[in-house]
Amino acid sequence: MSIGEKLQSLPKWILFLCLIVTASVLQFFNIPLPNKPQDPAIDYYAFAMSIPPGSTVLVSSDWTNSTHGESGPQFDALMRILMRRNIKFAVYTTADGQAPQVAKDEIRRLNEQRVKDGERPYRPFEDYVMVGYFPSAEGENLAMSINLRSAFAGKKDFPEGAKEPVDIWQSPVLKDIKDISDVKALFLISASNTDQIIIERLAAKVPLVYAVTGISAPQNFNYYSSGQLKGLVGGLKGIYDLEYLMTSGVNHPGADGKIAVASTRVPGDVPPLPGRNQGLGTAYFPTLHAALALMILAIIIGNVGMFMARKAQGASK
Amino acid sequence: MQYLDTGWFGMLLTLIMVSFIFTNIMRAHSSHRKGSSLFIRRIAGLNAIDEAVGRATEMGRPVLMVPGLSDTTINAKSLQALNIFSYVARTAAKFSNPILVCCYNASVYTVAQEMIREVYQQEGLGDRFDPDSIQYVSDRQFAFAAGVSGMILRERAAATFFMGEFYAESLIFAETANSVGAIQVASSTEFNQTPFFIAACDYVLIGDEFYAASAYLTRAPVLVGSLVGQDWCKVALMLLVLFGALDVTAEVQLQTTRGRKDGKEVDVPIHRKRPADSISMRMLNPDPDTEVVKAVKREKLPPDQISIPSPGGGGN
Amino acid sequence: MLNLFLDIDPPTIFNAHNNFQTLTTYIIGALLAGFGILFALLKAPPQTRRGIVFFVTFISGFFYVLLFIWPSPINRSKGDAPINGFDNVGFWLADAQPVVSTMTQIIGGFLIGLGIFSLMRIHLKRIVKGGGDAPFSFTLVLSMILMIIFGFWDFHQRQQPGAGPLLDNQANWGFVNYAKDYLFDGMLQEMEAAMFSIIAFYILSAAYRAFRVRSIEATILLTTALIVILSLMSVVEYQWGEMVNSVAGGNKNSFVQNFTLTNVAGWIRASVQQPSIRGIDFGVGIGLLAMSLRIWLSLERAGE
Repeated sequence: MSIGEKLQSLPKWILFLCLIVTASVLQFFNIPLPNKPQDPAIDYYAFAMSIPPGSTVLVSSDWTNSTHGESGPQFDALMRILMRRNIKFAVYTTADGQAPQVAKDEIRRLNEQRVKDGERPYRPFEDYVMVGYFPSAEGENLAMSINLRSAFAGKKDFPEGAKEPVDIWQSPVLKDIKDISDVKALFLISASNTDQIIIERLAAKVPLVYAVTGISAPQNFNYYSSGQLKGLVGGLKGIYDLEYLMTSGVNHPGADGKIAVASTRVPGDVPPLPGRNQGLGTAYFPTLHAALALMILAIIIGNVGMFMARKAQGASK
Repeated sequence: MQYLDTGWFGMLLTLIMVSFIFTNIMRAHSSHRKGSSLFIRRIAGLNAIDEAVGRATEMGRPVLMVPGLSDTTINAKSLQALNIFSYVARTAAKFSNPILVCCYNASVYTVAQEMIREVYQQEGLGDRFDPDSIQYVSDRQFAFAAGVSGMILRERAAATFFMGEFYAESLIFAETANSVGAIQVASSTEFNQTPFFIAACDYVLIGDEFYAASAYLTRAPVLVGSLVGQDWCKVALMLLVLFGALDVTAEVQLQTTRGRKDGKEVDVPIHRKRPADSISMRMLNPDPDTEVVKAVKREKLPPDQISIPSPGGGGN
Repeated sequence: MLNLFLDIDPPTIFNAHNNFQTLTTYIIGALLAGFGILFALLKAPPQTRRGIVFFVTFISGFFYVLLFIWPSPINRSKGDAPINGFDNVGFWLADAQPVVSTMTQIIGGFLIGLGIFSLMRIHLKRIVKGGGDAPFSFTLVLSMILMIIFGFWDFHQRQQPGAGPLLDNQANWGFVNYAKDYLFDGMLQEMEAAMFSIIAFYILSAAYRAFRVRSIEATILLTTALIVILSLMSVVEYQWGEMVNSVAGGNKNSFVQNFTLTNVAGWIRASVQQPSIRGIDFGVGIGLLAMSLRIWLSLERAGE
């Protein structure tokens, strides 16, 4: 076998080993990377920051541990924004029976972090409610568009310290909500097809703001560019952008007077969020870089091999 | 009472598209009676079905089919996948080639059992039908991915057909099948996964080719007519897109002193017209008039008749 | 729970509580009635059966068609009476939708039994026969049994009065809770995450194999892919932007500024990728509409 042929057919285990090494090693280093946040993430942050404190939003948490690498930091960042801005939220899912527990665990972890950082813990039932899981995404989102009260009827959650669950409609989070249009926004964190279903059923009723996996981002970019989504965070790059914006703000002068992120899309100054903002998105981003670089390298090797083999074939003829 | 949710135009457009489909089904019927048929272009991925099954027969290895992942119950996408698989199973039955159908949910499994059994019976080969060839694997996405990949590797499938709704598992299937040298025909109704199939499979049906497949394979008048009706719908949508593009481009050049607030036109300072205020955008995105909404007054039911958890009240 | 009937007092089959004594009777009655209908359908002549299936399919689909076409009631509050007959239908449709949706779930739930039967039949047969695949089948059956036992046991414990919040704290866990946690969170979830992460490896190997400059089309594909990949690498994107900026002499309005990675990738996304996605989506949507119509009117299986 010539070198060209060898380069064209590298054993898979070599590629896989390179990926394991690249992806693992960089996890141990904290490498600050320069960034230029993209417009959909800027709109996401600006919209989230424009919601009045004390109002209620819905969070469709349609992800589980399978996509923790992308959806986890997206959920964390959204929670940090909502909690710091005292926005009440109701978490529901139509994607997976495991999703409510995953969201609950994540909120508990963030609350522990908040207490450590000297912030007040977000109280279940008072500040947020867990609505739970609904098995039919189409049916439930349609029901929500028709009548939110009956769509969420019969759901209960535990107030802090209570032994028995209480109807979620008695919670301060939802008591003033009559209809889905009373909710200020629906934030989706999805690794599922619920992004499409929610657009179909609820886009005309409530402002939608999405955080999706990198794979789903191109399709959702359609809805963002048509104005059906108020903001979009896609994949790890999106979450890195969001965490970056949470630290720098938009059109906001830093301590040195310089504006780190300037955007004509957002009128005025959107301030950064005080406190801990950099999370898993920032931690994983260097790994994404290295993995993509490895992919480019693999593509180049394959093509070089192909040209060498062709040249050798041409010479032998 | 108004069409505040969808708007009259969206409703009209849907009904027009439905009428296109029915009209062409009738046209296809009458053409069929006269002995002619409507034209369908060649679809390479579907021509490859016979080749793939033939190759599997030569190699003495099974043909593996996956009708995608669907929600908790069967839906139109998985049913269409099963329609295509009926054809694949018919070809395989003729060659006495073993088949394997891996189902993600129990509803699809039940329907697949019946459809494939019927195919074998229609071919007069009912005794060759193995009920175990249709398997329910798991309704957990990655458990399903692991289960099907295991089957591909153990059975060393010679031909694989992945059609229907596929998500992150698409590349796992395609790469696993590639590693055993299977010839692969695939199609995902989920746009996001189509690039993975294109990168890893031999033939891919893109977009609505998936829905055209049963018409192409069976040439049944209902299906062919419906396919031609779909093309008429596409032409209608193309014209609508063209109208929208021209309209918005023209209207945003204009200056106006009118704007919208709470669904009503009001006087505002002079400004360049926004795309959202153009005729075509207003047709597709009606803005509910809040005064009309507020004007709807209803009497209250007697308390003993209230049994429905509706807005303003709670559930139990 | 069927939402439509939640408030009915005294409780009926539709809103009976877990401890409601007649609930068991209702469930058994409903099961018997279901099996009775199923048996009658199986015994019916094929033509009659087909007719019944056509009728049920049509009625089920007609509900959603009506829900789509009929104007939905606006500004409705709890206890409101409909204004007229037209409004009455709107009320009825809106209230019935969750019920119809739940019925679909219940039917789907019943079919799970058939799925489990299929799994057990195939894998128990393999275990009895022995052979190379028997250990896999044994693992599957064992995992299923353990997960069912500990899953339900843990669920039952959490349903006891006051147990829910108590068991949220790991300090109060017993053997059952640890076993369920180990099986569910410790194994199932982690294995699912592992399966998902395999995609990264397959993306690499597929890209290595597929992205070759074999033809003009493949070259275009490769070039656009490289630009999009590079645009996701903020270091490259940033440095490229700085380079373009220095070529433009810092002039933000220079034509050269169009060639930053952000702008080129943005142009590809907005002018090439999005229109093609929209085109494909339109086609898929219309295909789905036609397919649904054929299923609703039972034209799909009739063929001719």
